[in-house]
Amino acid sequence: MRLFEFEAKELFRELGIPTPQGTIIRCAEEVFSIPAKSFPKTLKTQVLSGGRGKAGGIKFADNQEDAYQKAQAIFKLPIKGELPKTILVEPKVTIKKEIYLAILIDRAFKGPILMGSAEGGVEIESSENIQIVPVPGANYSSFLGRELGAKLGLQGSQLIKFAALVDKLWQVWIKFDCDLAEINPLIIDGDDNFIALDGKVTLNEDATGRHPRFAGQLAAHLSDLGDREFRGKMCGLNIVELEGNIGILCNGAGLTMATMDLVLHKGGKPSNFLDVGGGANKDHVKRALDLVSSSEDVKVLLVNILGGITACDEVAAALAYYKELRPDAKMVVRLVGNNEAKAKEIMDRAGIPMTNVLEKAVEEAVSLAAKA
Amino acid sequence: MAVLINKNTNVIVQGITGSMGATHARLMKAYGTKIVAGVTPGKGGQDFEGTPVFDTVYEATKNFRVDCSVIFVPPYFALDAALEAIEAGVPLVSVITEGLPPQDAVKLHAAARANGTLVNGPNCPGIITPDECLVGIHPGSIYKRGKVGLISRSGTLTYEIGLGLKQADIGISTAIGIGGDPIIGIDQIKSLELFQNDPETEMIILVGEIGGSAEEEAAEYIKSNVKKPVVGYVAGVTAPPGKRMGHAGAIIAGNKGTAKSKREAFEAANVKVADTPYEIIDLVKQELAILA
Repeated sequence: MRLFEFEAKELFRELGIPTPQGTIIRCAEEVFSIPAKSFPKTLKTQVLSGGRGKAGGIKFADNQEDAYQKAQAIFKLPIKGELPKTILVEPKVTIKKEIYLAILIDRAFKGPILMGSAEGGVEIESSENIQIVPVPGANYSSFLGRELGAKLGLQGSQLIKFAALVDKLWQVWIKFDCDLAEINPLIIDGDDNFIALDGKVTLNEDATGRHPRFAGQLAAHLSDLGDREFRGKMCGLNIVELEGNIGILCNGAGLTMATMDLVLHKGGKPSNFLDVGGGANKDHVKRALDLVSSSEDVKVLLVNILGGITACDEVAAALAYYKELRPDAKMVVRLVGNNEAKAKEIMDRAGIPMTNVLEKAVEEAVSLAAKA
Repeated sequence: MAVLINKNTNVIVQGITGSMGATHARLMKAYGTKIVAGVTPGKGGQDFEGTPVFDTVYEATKNFRVDCSVIFVPPYFALDAALEAIEAGVPLVSVITEGLPPQDAVKLHAAARANGTLVNGPNCPGIITPDECLVGIHPGSIYKRGKVGLISRSGTLTYEIGLGLKQADIGISTAIGIGGDPIIGIDQIKSLELFQNDPETEMIILVGEIGGSAEEEAAEYIKSNVKKPVVGYVAGVTAPPGKRMGHAGAIIAGNKGTAKSKREAFEAANVKVADTPYEIIDLVKQELAILA
C-alpha cells in the first residue's frame, strides 16, 4: 500500500526524522488561512504516482494570491489519470546538498539493504552512483548507517548526522512493515540540518493486516488502479487489468498466467488475470465472474479450474447460476480434478459445454472471440 | 531414491487442529505419509484421529524422531511456528502458508541458514515423492512415480504438468513446490543440486515465472553444475510490468524479471524451453527417448 508523501512524512516525524513544517490543504481557498508572512511556499500535489515535478504538480508560490492561482491549477491537474485530493504546502528550504536514501528488500540477497546516492533528487534508476550496504539477517546496527555515509563521501558531523538518520529510517521500515522507505532527496539545509524533503513509503500489503492504524485505509490508497482492479481489491479477488477481449478466470497464479500466455500463443488477447484462489466456494466464484465480465471489452469468458482443493462442482454451480442470469454470455469452460464428475452433471443440466482439455478450451475461446 | 522425503520420513503437522491443517493431515495420511504427531499450542494431550497432539514442537521431538514439519498456520503466526521447528532441530520445514510479510520471511530464512535447516516455501504446495510421501497439499493422484525431477514456483500449474506427465505415462521422482514468494528457502538452485545428485532422477523440469532473477541465476548454475537434461517453462509472457500477478514474487520491476529474460537465460544454458505447459510433456518425451 503506497502512502502519500504527506503520510510518509507523518511516519518520519513520529520516528524523529525532520521534515519541513507542512500543511495539507483540500481546496485552493485554504491558502488564505496560511499566514501571509510565512510565504514563499512550495505547493506539492499529493498523488501516488511519481514524476510529479515534471508533470507540473510541484510549484513555488511567492504569496497567497500566487498560491491560490497555482493551487487551483494543481487541483485540476491529473497525473497518470490521478487527481489530487490534497496539496502539501511547505516552506521553501535552502538546499546545500541532496542525497538519496532508501531501505528495501533485495530478493537476491534475501534481505534488506540500505541504498544511497550522493546524487539525490533525481530519478534513482538513472543515477550511476548508487551505493549499497546489505543488512545481514536483518540485524541492523548503527555502524551500517555509518558505512553507507562513508561510501557517499560524507565526513565529520555530516557523517554522524546522516548515520543517525539512517537509524531512524530503519525504525520506520521495521515498525510499519515497509516494502520501501525512501527519502529522495534527503537534504542538508543552510544550517547543516538533515531534512527529508520528500518521502515515499510503501507498506507491504500482506502485512497491513497486523497494523490496526492502517485498517480500512486501503480504498483511499488505490488511486493508481483500474476499475476492475479496485473492485477486486475491495472483495479480496486478485485481478489485473489487460487489454483484450477474453476474460480469464482460473485457480492458482502460475496456472492463470500460463492460461493467459496460452491465449496469446493461440492468437487471442486476454482481458485480465484473475486467480480465484484455492478452495473457492460458489459465491466467491460468482463474484469473480461478475467482476471479470463487468468490462464491456470482454466477449468470451474462459474458465480454467484444476481442482486440487478447489471443488469443481462449486465452480460449476456458480457457472450455472451465471448462465441463468446471462443466457447470451459466451463461456468456455475447462474443469478437471476434484469432483469433476459432479461438475459435469451440473454443467450438462445447465447446458454449458465443458472440456477437461486445456488446449481445446483455449482454442475454442480464441475462435469465439475472433467472431464476436 | 528421490529427494528430501520418502516412505521413512516422520512428519509432524503444525496447526493440525485448524481447518487447513486437519484437512491436509487427513489427505497426507491417506496418501501414506507417516504423520507421527501434530502440534497446536493449547491442544496438547488431544488426539487427532489417532495422531497425538502436542503443545510444542520440542515435546513432539522428545516422543518421536521428527524428520520434517509441515506448517499450516495463519500468516502472522507462521514465522513463530517455523522458528520453533528450527530451534527444536527439525531438519526440513515446509511452510505452506501464503501471506507471510516479507520481513518475517527474511527472519525465517536467516534463522534457517544459521541452523542449517532446510526450509521449503513459504507460500508453496510442498513436496511429494509419489507412492511414498506427501508433505503439503499436492493432489497425490495426479502424479506417477518415475525418473523426472520437477521444480516449480507454482501450485496448480505444477499439478497441470503432473497430470500431463501421468497421462503420457511419465513419472516423477519428486516434485518440489518451491513457492511463489520473493524470499524462499529451498530455491531453484538448491533443488537442481538435489536432483543432480539423486541417482533416481534422470532429467529435470524447471517451471519458473516472472519476477526476480532466480531463473537467470539457476541458468548460470545449470551451465557449470547440472549434467542431466533440463526442460524449462516460464509463465507470465502476458504479465504487464509493475503488477503483482497473484504470487507476491510474480512482479516485473522496471524491466527486470520478464518472461523473455528468463527464457533467454534458460536457452543460453541449453535448457529446452517449452512454449506451453503441454509442450513440456513433448520435450520431456524427447529427452527421455534420447536418454534411453
